[in-house]
Amino acid sequence: MTDDGAPLELLDRGYAAIMRHIVETATAPHFTDLAAALAIPIEQARQLAHELVAITPGWMAPDTDLFASFPPFNLQPTQYRVTVDGIGGWYAQCGLEATAIRWLFPGQTVRIEAPCLCCGEAMVVEMHDEEITTTEPAEIVGYTSDVIGGSAESRPFR
Amino acid sequence: MNLFRSEEHARRWDGFNPAMAHAIKPLAEWAEAFANPFFRERARADYISWTRSDDGAAAFRALRSSLPVPADH
Repeated sequence: MTDDGAPLELLDRGYAAIMRHIVETATAPHFTDLAAALAIPIEQARQLAHELVAITPGWMAPDTDLFASFPPFNLQPTQYRVTVDGIGGWYAQCGLEATAIRWLFPGQTVRIEAPCLCCGEAMVVEMHDEEITTTEPAEIVGYTSDVIGGSAESRPFR
Repeated sequence: MNLFRSEEHARRWDGFNPAMAHAIKPLAEWAEAFANPFFRERARADYISWTRSDDGAAAFRALRSSLPVPADH
């Protein structure tokens, strides 16, 4: 048992189940799905979902038990549209986490398409395992306006 | 935490924070930071345990040391 939460073994199984679901379906599981997948009571799964979101760190849709963000993914659309070997449906939590999505799709081409927040013009990044194979335009930069890993309240706004 | 077409575009963004101007980095540099094992290991069946292991803690320390903090910190 951890200090004040779920047993570590359950945190591992829960995290893996959520991540696998998102990778395979581009959607998040509901906590009832999580309960079934882990063979645990529904209320325990609901609490586990919140605990894991706090650890990752992601966030729930405000005042709900519904996943909004589970890094590197966002379950609500963001401007960072993701396709994997030409199949779409995923969104990145942010522009920087977008570069980490490739680690969940080994051997596949991950493509990020996004408009620039300044001008709305398109940007494209393609990655394949260790390689960044496309950067259009070549001058793309990443930027965070606040500390990465800072307060939970500011997570969606950095 | 966003991508921009160039440094000039990042500086013109409404949300630009001058105290974090040094956080404007080429995509390749951010991609290297997000290649830390903390991100690479997310597909593990024991990921949360791993983050609390010596290897996970070392990866997290390396990650934290590579991330920008506000200029006034």
